[in-house]
Amino acid sequence: MERVVKTYEFALFIALIGFSMVIGFVKPAFFSISTIFNILDNSVTYTIMGFGVLIVLLSGEIDISFVAIAALSSYATNMLLLSWGYTGGISFYLIIGAIFGALLGLAEGLIVTKFNIPTFFVSLGYQILLYGFTLFFLGSTYNFNLPPGLTNYYSEFLIRVKNPFGAETSLNVPVLYLLIIAIAMWLLLRYTLFGRGLYAIGGDREAAKRVGFPVKRIILLALIINGILASIAGNIQNASNGYFDPTLFRGNDLNVIAYVIIGGASILGGRGSVIGVVLGVIFIQVLDLGVIYMGISADWQQLFIGLALVIALSASTLPSILRRIQE
Amino acid sequence: MNEPVEFLRLENVSKRFGGIVALSNVDLTIYQGEVVVLLGENGSGKSTMIKIIAGVYNPDSGTIHIGQKQYKVLNPILSIREHIQVIYQDLSLFPNLTVAENISIGHFIAHRRNVISWQEIYKIAQQTLSKIGTDIPLDVKLATLPVADWQIVAIGRALIEDAQLIIMDESTSALTQKEIQRLFQIIKNLKQQNISFLFVTHKLEEVKEIADRVVILRDSKKVLEQNAQGLDIKTMEFYMTGRIIDENATTRHNFAEVSATPLLHAGNLTLLPYFSEITFDLMPREILGITGLVGSGRTEIALSLFGVLPATSGEIYINGRKINVKNIKDAIRSGIGYIPENRIREGLFLTQSVGRNIVARIIRSLTKRGVLLPYIINQTAQTWIKELDIKTPSSEIPVSSLSGGNQQRVLIAKWLASNPKILILNLPTVGIDVGSKASIHDLMRKLAQNGIGIILISDDIPEILHVCDRILVMEKGRIKREIHQGEVDEDKLYQIVVG
Repeated sequence: MERVVKTYEFALFIALIGFSMVIGFVKPAFFSISTIFNILDNSVTYTIMGFGVLIVLLSGEIDISFVAIAALSSYATNMLLLSWGYTGGISFYLIIGAIFGALLGLAEGLIVTKFNIPTFFVSLGYQILLYGFTLFFLGSTYNFNLPPGLTNYYSEFLIRVKNPFGAETSLNVPVLYLLIIAIAMWLLLRYTLFGRGLYAIGGDREAAKRVGFPVKRIILLALIINGILASIAGNIQNASNGYFDPTLFRGNDLNVIAYVIIGGASILGGRGSVIGVVLGVIFIQVLDLGVIYMGISADWQQLFIGLALVIALSASTLPSILRRIQE
Repeated sequence: MNEPVEFLRLENVSKRFGGIVALSNVDLTIYQGEVVVLLGENGSGKSTMIKIIAGVYNPDSGTIHIGQKQYKVLNPILSIREHIQVIYQDLSLFPNLTVAENISIGHFIAHRRNVISWQEIYKIAQQTLSKIGTDIPLDVKLATLPVADWQIVAIGRALIEDAQLIIMDESTSALTQKEIQRLFQIIKNLKQQNISFLFVTHKLEEVKEIADRVVILRDSKKVLEQNAQGLDIKTMEFYMTGRIIDENATTRHNFAEVSATPLLHAGNLTLLPYFSEITFDLMPREILGITGLVGSGRTEIALSLFGVLPATSGEIYINGRKINVKNIKDAIRSGIGYIPENRIREGLFLTQSVGRNIVARIIRSLTKRGVLLPYIINQTAQTWIKELDIKTPSSEIPVSSLSGGNQQRVLIAKWLASNPKILILNLPTVGIDVGSKASIHDLMRKLAQNGIGIILISDDIPEILHVCDRILVMEKGRIKREIHQGEVDEDKLYQIVVG
């Protein structure tokens, strides 16, 4: 127990509770089930992408092309399934999308590992390449054409409650996927040699090589999983929107990385956790919602959230600074 | 006593790299449960030998016998299968993982176990540490433990693959006396379990404590192989360097005659919790040693004089004039130079050229109307390269390609270029071989004779005794004793420091 209390994640959790208290104190309406549903619902796709970001960061690499993989793989999946005359729901989208995502991650990973280039450099170009490919070869407009099984996806829910404004808020199905993926990721990181290898190569790559970890294969696999998770997030987001966007998530790459770092991951590798990613994304969602609830005008929101991000990100470096002082 | 059983035997092993002979017709035998200390200066072939045994290099000729088997070449995996493990100087551990994982993870890799059982990780680690006979918490991250514990974790990791021979490369260079004693105790324990050690070190005083046999390489040949008993440091130095190093052959000054005003006077310097009421003088041309255990405050005093950790009370006088040292800039302006402990990380721009490093501190004075002229840099650099006898093919190659001793000289040159009155050196010869060490000592004397006051911070007892005119022994932030040259011998000084 004492060990849990000392973790960064726990501190973040306390900060999250404290922050919610402040908002709730100003606007009691914030304290409601529907708020929780809202926050969870908004967190799903960022958290799923965040898991991919996490494993890449753990290995000591940085990737920013996952947003483009999300856009390309889901847009392509939709085109492909429509051309097959598919009429079902999201399950096939997730499977076919995952294959695209895996292949796109594999291609990136091969460039990284064969030519020994840092993932960050490759992904700078790769992101633009993939968005460009989508716009040029697949389509440059929103695709509102969905199979019948998917047209009402945004309204499929698990539970529905009344919100304080009299309308109804629902907990949507994708939250369930998030839960399953989170558990799978936790198991992957904690109970597989691959997962421990991510921490090891992020901690000391040379040492990892000497002890026999297949460093390149681990990075390759990390980028493939990153691609798969991005494609899942892309399909869920597009399906929930009700249309497929060829520039989905464009410009959100650094946001997601910021959330993961707020969640306690180190940009230098070797540190970070699944629960941290979940808390990091939720923290920002609470912040977003809080700004609205507290009636801060739209003009100020960006400024306010930006300021909070700077503070939170600075705070996330505290553990390592404290350690240095102790030494 | 039983007949010793041979574990490893190299026979006539040679290795060349291009035109350079790294190892020439060397024999080496290691018996079960024996500690062999391997000595030699940089470039003598020590690391080539280790890497041949570890299977990293293939020898050009000769044979390697392990037990009953005979090999022409090894490879890393084969070497591990033959129960040989190398602990490199950098230890190759994971600071962000727990102690238990650091010890056990190799087992899962070696047996291609893709699913981790934490129970097993802890079990293996527990068993291994009890075999070593030590107690380290298993579930904390390695980063939170002192380096001495890392060393033990590294030994633990070597043991899980059932090592019969553990090769330790410079394992004691980052450890304090107490920690070294603990490490040696562990090695002695493991010796009882028939595990052999090949121990590479620069610290000759350690040899008689740990070694059964000593092997010395020089210029890629074996020049000495002898039982450690009865072997003294002078003999070892002679075989390592091929010349007699006489540290005592320097004239000493009588400082009272030279000058009445001290170059530096520190009065009642206090900075809690590191040190308090520190008072001492540094005379012109004097080498003052400050020693003590890690945590005694010796480094903090230096940092305080240099303005990194300004003292909260007390006074500093230079040539009788009071100065105020609140930051590094003040210290430099007053003519105080500081050469840090970790020269690689704190003192040098490793990837930059020798010349640029030398002029780094005086770059402002080398410009003409704000423009930097390469030929002036070059001239200045050449002067210092000659003055300090830095062995480098040119002033334009990166510092990282020089040997440790020469890197240290570049760092000293960098400070001398700015013409300091006082130079503080913190552990200047750590990780430097005997030959270069002696020449750094000579350099310090030469500088002192030229009028620069030198403060040497060191925990190397023979070094501090041989080089310094006066020694301050620190304990828990206070000066415990002041010792004049010739007052005590090594054993006595050692007792004063640890006692």
